[in-house]
Amino acid sequence: MSCHKESKLVAIVDDDDSVRGTLQELLRSAGLPSQGFDSAEAFLGSGRQQETACLITDIRMPGMSGLELQARLNAERCKIPTIFITAHGDEEMRFQALRAGAVEFLPKPFDDEVLIESVRAALDR
Amino acid sequence: MNPSEAMNKSAGSARSIAQRYGLAVASIAVAFGLASALAQFHIPQTFGAFALSAIAVTFWYAGTKPGVLAALLSSVVRDFLFDPQTSTQSRLLFDLVFLVFALLMTQVLRHRNQLELRVAERTAELTQLNENLKREIAKHNQVEAELRLSEAYLAEAQRLSHTGSWAWSPPPGDIRYWSEECFRVQGFDPKGGQPRFDEFLQSVHPDDQARVAEVIQRAVREKEEFEFDYRIIHPGGEIRDARSFGHPILGPSGDLVEYVGTIIDVTERRQAEKERERLREAQADLAHVSRMTAMGELTASLAHEVNQPITAAVNGASTCVRWLTREDPDLGEAREAALGVIRNAKRAADIINRIRSISKKGETKRQLADVNELILEMIALLRSEAKRYSVSVRTELNAQLPKVMADSVQVQQVLMNLIMNAIDAMKDVDRERELTIRSQWADNRMLMISVGDTGVGLPPQQADRIFDAFFTTKLHGIGMGLRISRSIVESHGGRLWAADNSPHGASFHFTLAAPVEVGA
Repeated sequence: MSCHKESKLVAIVDDDDSVRGTLQELLRSAGLPSQGFDSAEAFLGSGRQQETACLITDIRMPGMSGLELQARLNAERCKIPTIFITAHGDEEMRFQALRAGAVEFLPKPFDDEVLIESVRAALDR
Repeated sequence: MNPSEAMNKSAGSARSIAQRYGLAVASIAVAFGLASALAQFHIPQTFGAFALSAIAVTFWYAGTKPGVLAALLSSVVRDFLFDPQTSTQSRLLFDLVFLVFALLMTQVLRHRNQLELRVAERTAELTQLNENLKREIAKHNQVEAELRLSEAYLAEAQRLSHTGSWAWSPPPGDIRYWSEECFRVQGFDPKGGQPRFDEFLQSVHPDDQARVAEVIQRAVREKEEFEFDYRIIHPGGEIRDARSFGHPILGPSGDLVEYVGTIIDVTERRQAEKERERLREAQADLAHVSRMTAMGELTASLAHEVNQPITAAVNGASTCVRWLTREDPDLGEAREAALGVIRNAKRAADIINRIRSISKKGETKRQLADVNELILEMIALLRSEAKRYSVSVRTELNAQLPKVMADSVQVQQVLMNLIMNAIDAMKDVDRERELTIRSQWADNRMLMISVGDTGVGLPPQQADRIFDAFFTTKLHGIGMGLRISRSIVESHGGRLWAADNSPHGASFHFTLAAPVEVGA
C-alpha cells in the first residue's frame, strides 16, 4: 500500500486535548487547516493517512507511541513527513526519529515560526 | 404455740390458782391452829389478831379474791369453830372488823399494784431509752467507720491521681485544710503541720511566684475562680510541674468565705505530652521524607504534566500574536486565543500548587475533606506517570459520600503511594494495564477507598510482610511507603490492607471514619 499525497492535510496526533487544540488553532492562524487525533490508533483507524501531507505527533501516549506510529507508517510504505513534538525527548530518541525519516524533532514548548516553517516545507515537497 | 405448750400453760395457771386459794385456806388454818394452841395456855382471844395477819398475808401474796376468801373463812372459823358461844353483837363486830380490814387490804393492794405498774412503765421507758442510745451509738460508730473508709479511699484516689485538695480563707484567714496529697505534691513535710499561705508561696519556683500571687489576688478581688500552672521546687531541688484550681465559696450575703480547690502534679503528664509531640514530629518528618522520595521518582512525569499546559499556553500566545500582526488583525480570534492562554497558564499553576502542597512540610492539620476530590487531584498529578507506562486509569467514585475529617496532604500521600505501587506492579506485565480507583461506603460509619491493579500481584508467601518497615520488592525502594501509609491511615482511625485482585494483580483498601452527623 502506498500513499497518494494529493491533498494538503495536516494531521495532529496528541492525547492532550489542550495541546492538540491550541496547535490546531495556531496552524489555522497561519492559514493551515488540520485535523486532530487523540491517539495513534485513532489516526490509523481514520483511514486518512493516505491523504496526510504532514503529520505532527507526540511521542509518549497511552497505547501506541509516536515512534511506533512512524515505524508502522514506514512499514506500510506510507512515508509522511513527520514532525515530532515531545516534552521529554532525549538524544537517542531524536536520532531514532530522524533516522526513520522525521523532518523535525521539537521539544515542547516550541517556537511557532520553526513549526510552521517545517509544516510548510513538508507541504511543499 | 403447740398443743402441749398450751396445756402446760393452762396447767400452770391452774396450779397458780390452787396455790393462791390454798394460801387463803392454809393461812387461816395456821391462824386457827396458833390461836387454839395459845388458848391451851390460857391466852384467849388471839384468833382475831392471827386471822388479820393471815388475811393480810393472803391479800399481799395471793391477791384480792383469795384475800376475800381468807376474810370469809376467818368469820366462819371464828363464829363456828373457835367461839360458837359468843354473842351476836360480838360476832357481828368481828365480821365487821374482818370486812373493813379486807376492804383496807383491797385498797392497799390496789395502790401497790398501781405503784408496781408505774415502776414497770418507768423501767420500760428507761429500757427503751437505753436501747435507743445503744442504737445511736452503733449507728454513730458505723458512720464513723464508713467516713474513715471513705477518707482512706479519697486519700488513695488523691495519691493515684496526684491531686491534693485544700481550703483557704483569704487574709486575714489562712489555709484551713491541706490534704495529705497536697503535702506530697508541694513537697512539704506533714510533720511540720498545716502550712501557711506564705509558706506555700515560698515553695513555688521564684520565677512563678509573682504571677501566682497576682492570679490569686485578682481572683480574690473579683471573687472569681482561679487556675494557674506553676513549678514547685522540692526540698531536694527537684522541679515539678503543677496546676492549681480554686473555687470561691460565698456566704449568703455574697461575701467571700473561702476558696476550695486542688493542686495537681502534672509533671509526668507534661513529659508524656512532650514525648507524644516529639513522636508526632518524627512521624511527620518521616512522612515528609517519604513524600519527597516519591516526588523525586515522579520528577520526569511531573515535569511533563506541567509542560503540557505551558506548551498549550505558548501555542495560544503565538496564535494570538499571529492574529494581531496580520495585515487585517482579527481581534475576535486574538481574544479567543488569549483566553486559552489564561486557561492553560492557570492549569499549569494548579498543577504546581498541587505539587507544592504535597511537598510542603508543615504540622498536620485535620479538616473536612472530600475524598473524591483528593482522588481526582492525585490522578491528575499522576496521569503522566500512568501514561508513561501505558496504564489506563478508571474511577468508580460514589458522589454521595460525606466529607471526612482528615489531613488532605497525608491522605493524598497514601493515595500517591498506592497508585505508584500499582503502576510499578504493572510496568512489566504484557496484559492490559488498568488502574481502578473506587470510593464507597464500607459500612455506615466508614468510607472505603480502593486502588486495584492488573499487575504482578502480591509477593506470594510474603503478603503479610509488605507493610513491614524496610520490606521492598523494588530495586531502588526503601520499603517505607506502605508502612507510613498504614500509620497515616491508622492515625485517622481507619485500616489499610491488601488483597488479591481477580483475575490478576493486587488491590489495596483503606477506610476513613465518616464524621458523626450533627443534628441528623
